[in-house]
Amino acid sequence: MPVALRSATFAVAAVALLGTAATGRAQEPIRIGVLQPMTGPATKNGTENYTAMQIARDMINERGGVNGRKVDFLLADIPTPTAAISETERLTTKDGVKITLGSGVSLLAVPVSQAAERHGVFHWETAGAADIITKRGFKYTFQVGPAAYRYGQAAVDLTLGELAKRLGKSPADLRIALLWENRAFGKSVGDSIRAYAKEKSVNLVYDEGYDQFLTDMTPIVQRLKDVKPDVLIAISFPNDAILFQRKAKELDFNVGALVGVSAGYSNPDLRDSIGDMVNGIFVSDFAARVNPKALTPDTLKIADEFFKRYDDKMKRPPAGHASSAFSATWALFTEVFPKAKSYEPAELREIALKLDLPEGSLANGSGIKFTNNDWPTDPKDAGQNLRASIGVWQWQKTGNNQVFPAKLATTEPVMVPLPNWSQR
Amino acid sequence: MTTIGQLVLSGLLIGGIYALMSIGLTLIFGVLRIVNFAHGEFLMIAMYGAWAMTRYLGLNPYYAIVAIVPAMFLFGVVVHRLIVMPALDKPHLVVVFATMGLSILMQNVALMALSADLQDVPPILGGRSFTFGPFYAKPELLIGFAVALACTLGLRFMLQATYLGKAIRATVQDGEAAQLMGVPVPRIFLITFAAGSALVGLSACVMMPLFSVFPTVGLNFVLIAFVIVVLGGMGSIEGALLGGICIGIVQSLSSYYIAPAFGQMFFFMLFLLVMIFRPAGLLGRKGEATLGIND
Repeated sequence: MPVALRSATFAVAAVALLGTAATGRAQEPIRIGVLQPMTGPATKNGTENYTAMQIARDMINERGGVNGRKVDFLLADIPTPTAAISETERLTTKDGVKITLGSGVSLLAVPVSQAAERHGVFHWETAGAADIITKRGFKYTFQVGPAAYRYGQAAVDLTLGELAKRLGKSPADLRIALLWENRAFGKSVGDSIRAYAKEKSVNLVYDEGYDQFLTDMTPIVQRLKDVKPDVLIAISFPNDAILFQRKAKELDFNVGALVGVSAGYSNPDLRDSIGDMVNGIFVSDFAARVNPKALTPDTLKIADEFFKRYDDKMKRPPAGHASSAFSATWALFTEVFPKAKSYEPAELREIALKLDLPEGSLANGSGIKFTNNDWPTDPKDAGQNLRASIGVWQWQKTGNNQVFPAKLATTEPVMVPLPNWSQR
Repeated sequence: MTTIGQLVLSGLLIGGIYALMSIGLTLIFGVLRIVNFAHGEFLMIAMYGAWAMTRYLGLNPYYAIVAIVPAMFLFGVVVHRLIVMPALDKPHLVVVFATMGLSILMQNVALMALSADLQDVPPILGGRSFTFGPFYAKPELLIGFAVALACTLGLRFMLQATYLGKAIRATVQDGEAAQLMGVPVPRIFLITFAAGSALVGLSACVMMPLFSVFPTVGLNFVLIAFVIVVLGGMGSIEGALLGGICIGIVQSLSSYYIAPAFGQMFFFMLFLLVMIFRPAGLLGRKGEATLGIND
């Protein structure tokens, strides 16, 4: 074989080999560490969030993955804040993960993001809402769901607008009571409601935190009976929300309207536990299923597919936090990853900060625009999504229907004032 | 006045429930001198049992007592044979870790098998309360209090008037002497542990119409149960009833007059005060911590 021909053959073989190697590399999955409480007190949120994230992963992989690469999850169970730190450390140092998704509830999102930031890992937070998450000067933490203060604002806005009107009172005369569970999320929302109410010149006639392990709600209900509020805004978790409702019925505490905030009042278990007593309760929450008109046509198709798959898997529609887990994960796969080349945290951060998606771009009605120490309201805030959707839905006979704000609403509020226990 | 009356009544009734779920722990601690750290999880599985019988057989949860109490007795026998008995003659920490390990195992098995969903049974009388003048009381709480009272009296009668009770007291007073007198001490331990578990089963059936069950429900109650056992007098059955009622009332009043966020803090303060001024507990006697169930 002449030398020239031999060289050409080598060259072709080398190119072919390199090509194979390159293809091999392209086939490597994108590995993401997923941190969720699969055991412990927040298991319910964890398992539901993880189911929603798995659906997003399956949907993207069935569509050929991202840039030809499949997405792979490494799940770590974080029942407690201590486990949240150690598992995040393990995923990053032992498994070499550079992207994490999480984290079930605020209590766990705070330590997960802290450990991720320490290792320079890109953390995409779908459920944690406590305001502190984006106020610690972190570079790589992005809170895609709404911050806690916005739950409070939505509850107060609904109360002063729609509820005051229906209760026949002026907002200034309305007697509003605030009850909050005293962990990270409850306190954060409670603080924001207090501040926002002050801004709106509204008086809170009752403002109390309580311990999550409280097994007897009598003292709280008795105090509420004394102050006779028109509207009660309650931030609770599932077990305490059920205990409160039962005690309210036992002691015949009646209120014009009850606005629950997130987990406790949004949980489908509430209807299973207290039956039709649930009807009429408002829930300020991640929007679960919004008015289809609020979504772009492409998003609507994705949303419908997600709702169907979730229903097939879990035999019930997703709660708001699961809908947020899907929406945020899907945005990571379809808006952030496709623009990436190295998938290094610094590159992903740059892409995330440039995102400018209008509301209605994600399945739960959210858009994306992150703060980066450039938000006039709070210049120390970085990584908070200012376009995360939040709204209020109501337990109604026909299901959980979005009632506020008007653009996301699918129906009108009903049962205001809430009938007395003897008539419910 | 109405408010105080309502708070005391509610505290008294919930205190009865606390006492009821602590009596099993008191009995076990009083005789075997071990702390069962899986007590909360025993309560959890018994509550699931009561829930399942209500849900799938359509039974009133109180009828489930007929099946759950013997089932928990048998469960107690199995746990004693496999976990507690082998650890009894080892250093005390072995039992602590063995029962703690059992607690974690049971919680996680429940999570895998039953998911984290909260489960409930419908309240009796459609969730309506009885009214006594200006006061309200749920029938479930009244039943719970009556059962707690009956349990305390029944257990006291059993300990005082039956052969088994005498054998138990003899075992507590001096195990070696009792054995020499023909008391089958290992069997007494087995029966006591199983009876303690059965009492947890009884309280689970009474609690099911009041509380949701989920795999970590034990955590909400176990700390209160431990405090009651020590507060009441380390093995005193009547002490457990009194301790439960004290905690219920203190929690109710302090949560109302001071802040609900500190409800637990105040009963721990009461606990500390009792420990400082009456180290043997409310109804315990000096040295009872090492002696065991009182006679």
